[in-house]
Parts: sequence; structure tokens; C-alpha cells
Amino acid sequence: MGKKMIKRHTAVSIFMHWFNAVCWFFLLATGVGLIRNSDLDPIGGWWPEMMRGIFGGGENLLSAHVVCGSLWIVVFLLFTLVRLRKEVGFFIREIFTFSPANDILWIIKKGIQMTMGYRMLARLGFEPKIPEQGFYNIGQKLFAIPAMLGGIVIAATGIVMYSSKSMTMDPAIVQWSILIHFVMAGIVFAGLLIHIYMASIAAGELPALLSMFTGTVPEEYAEHHHKKWYDEIK
Amino acid sequence: MNVQYAMVIDSARCFDCKACVIACQIANGVPPGSYRNWIKGATVGDLGEMHFQPGNCMHCEDPTCVQACPTGATYRDEKDGTIKVNDGLCINCGSCVPACPYGARYRHPEKKVVDKCNFCEEHRARGESPACVQVCPTKARTFGNILDPGSEVARLLRTSKTVKVVNKKTDTKPNISYLSGTAPMDWPVEARSPAYSELWRKIAGPVVKGLAGITGLGVLVMLGKQLMVGDTPPAFTHEKHKEDFHG
Repeated sequence: MGKKMIKRHTAVSIFMHWFNAVCWFFLLATGVGLIRNSDLDPIGGWWPEMMRGIFGGGENLLSAHVVCGSLWIVVFLLFTLVRLRKEVGFFIREIFTFSPANDILWIIKKGIQMTMGYRMLARLGFEPKIPEQGFYNIGQKLFAIPAMLGGIVIAATGIVMYSSKSMTMDPAIVQWSILIHFVMAGIVFAGLLIHIYMASIAAGELPALLSMFTGTVPEEYAEHHHKKWYDEIK
Repeated sequence: MNVQYAMVIDSARCFDCKACVIACQIANGVPPGSYRNWIKGATVGDLGEMHFQPGNCMHCEDPTCVQACPTGATYRDEKDGTIKVNDGLCINCGSCVPACPYGARYRHPEKKVVDKCNFCEEHRARGESPACVQVCPTKARTFGNILDPGSEVARLLRTSKTVKVVNKKTDTKPNISYLSGTAPMDWPVEARSPAYSELWRKIAGPVVKGLAGITGLGVLVMLGKQLMVGDTPPAFTHEKHKEDFHG
């Protein structure tokens, strides 16, 4: 079988993926640094101290977080407006399309295989072959949905907190925004750990990682990993 | 730290002229209707005589407002022991306002940050006393560094019987002392932390950390399995079946 390549991601998608990744890391690092409170900080006081040292004070750290967050929001808004009929619409349609029986079986079998291996899968009486998936598999969808909805909530609560510096708001609204902002970022971060492993370290996923630079995957990979999508475009 | 600014107040000298309140508003741009300092009143003795008690932020040793602030905008300045607000870092969330037993904090309607007494930092930088101290016609307020034995406040603390006005449930160890006999004594309230921070501390924080911890652990298990056991399904050895076993 030849190495025929299939188009999977547009240049705009690839740019948005890496733009999002860089913003996320920066916002996560600066955001955790902004929580300077021994009752609330998630990883201890050393991180906010270090970040404030690097940025030259809490005010600068907050400004950097706000500037990056604003850029992130503006670029995603533009992306949505300009490319709604292209990548954005396709993405939303795909991540909210499920085939429940298939998907649940996929999660169970993939979960066992990834943590305990094929032998345990066989011992538990499962066939090694896992259910066919579309452009995204259900695991990717279960990360994409909270990442997208969480992103919207994080942006909205961030805007509330920043606006509080220029207009008087009910303190309860500002306070709950801080907590919701933190919780949503935490949930997406948990998913991000799995996303990074599955997409860059897990065995057999190198073509997926490369496609985030080249935009294409080998035909063989597309057929094996995303059979329903492959059948549609073939 | 060898500087701890503090006040000793002889409330018996106060006759409620409110010069300190107005001087403070003018010196610090405190808008009408908001206050960085106050004069409390109480009736004392059998004849119901009025007693007045001036006060302001107590610059506490154990500041509940600092503990309430999520960003570190409210902090204790180790250089002089005062409690300050970093305006650039304050997002005006108001978490600190109910955390002060003395009601010494308010949300500044124009600056959009929480504002409070800072013992007139700008005046002190020019070598002057805080505005309220300067303007008091009866010298009820004495200001200085209690860690300097030669200061007037240190001398008053040594030579006079003094009390601190505290809430029994929230003793924040204030740095304002009153000559004994002051009244009222029972007005500070219990420090309150807002509902969101209680939920964060008790539930949301542990849940988020647990979730990230479990997924992190899951990734480590998968990585360990990948590195030590390998990831090849048994049937991969049969080339003709290879296609059936890919994820």
C-alpha cells in the first residue's frame, strides 16, 4: 500500500490550534499566578511568587493575562465570524454528533486497552477491534465539548472580572466569576493532560501529531482511526 | 521589620467635631458618603453622658482582609507594617469588605477598587503625620512607630493603661490602642468570608485538584504501560489481520 496522503486540517485550523495552545499555556501559567491566597491557590504559594517575580509584580502579571486573554477572545471571535461556514461549523457539527451505543463501547474498550492493554481486553471477553469513528472519535469529542463550552464561560467570566476595574458591579457577580473561571479552567486542564498524551505520546498517534503541522494524514491512518470519515470522503 | 506604625487614641479628648473625617476625605480623595475613618458614639455612666471614639483601619497583625483577598491585592507592607491595597491588582470584587470586623473598607465608586486607610502614605513620605492626626484640635490621636522605644506611641503604651477594641470571635490583633475607659467596646462584627470563597476552599478547590490529579495519574499509567509493557496487540504478529486491530 502506497503512502497516499489525505487532507485533514486546513491551514486556518492548524494556525488556530497552535494559537490556542500557546494562549492556553500562557493564560494557565499567569492565571494560576494571579491566585495569591493560601486558602485558594491550587499548587501552593511558590507559583504566584515566582510568576510575580518574572513579570515584575502582580499588576504586570494581571496586565499580561488580560492582554493575552483579550487577544485570544478577539482572534476566536474573528475566526468564528469569518469561518463559520467552514472550520467552525464543521467542528461544532462533528463534536455534537454521537452514536451512543457505538461510542460507549469505544470508551470502555479503548479505556481498558490504553491502561491495561490488549491482553486484559481479551481476558474480559472483548474483541480487540474497536467501534468505527467519524472525523473525531468520542474521546476527542468529550474533550472538544468542554474545551469549547469551557472556553466561552472562561472568556465571559474573564470579561466580567476585568470590567469590574472600570465599572461598578455587584460584588457577588464578580466573586462568582472568579470561582467559575477557576473551575472551568481546571476542568479543561484535566482534559488537556489526556489530549496531550493521546495526541503526541500514545503509540500509533504520530500521524495525528504530524497532521497538526502538515494538514494531511496517511490514507491508511484515516481508514483505521476514522473509518466513517474516510468512507465519506473516499 | 523594625517599623510598625500604630496609633494610640485618647477617646476622652474627642468631642465629635469630625475634623479628622473631613481632613481624611480631602487628603485621600474619599468621595462624599464614603469614609476611611469614623467617630463612634456611646452613652456612658449613670447620667448617660456621651463618649466619642475615633477610629480607622486598625492595620491588624492578623488581618482577615488579607486572607480574604483572592489576588494578593490587599497585603501587609512589611516595610512599615501597614495594610495596603495594590490598586493595579485589585479587581474590586469586594471579598475583603465583609472580612473586616471594623467596616474599614469600601468599594471606591470612582476608582473602582477597594479603598481604605493607609495611614496617609503620601503624607508620611513627606515626613508628615496622617491628616487625621494633624488636624485633631484636642490631639486625641497619637501616631508613630511602636517598635521605636523613643516614640510617643511607644511611651504611651508603656505608661498608660490601654485596651484594644476587638470582636471576641475575630480578634485580628489590631494596631490601634485606646486609653482604657473608651466606649463603645462591642461594635466590631465577626469577620465573614463570602460564600464563593467558602465553596472554593471546601469543595471546588479539592474537586478540581482531584480531577486534574486523577487524569494526570491516568496519563502516567498509560505512559507506564506503553513504555514497560508495549502497545502491540497479540494479533499484530499476523500481518494479514493487522488492519483489524488499529484504534
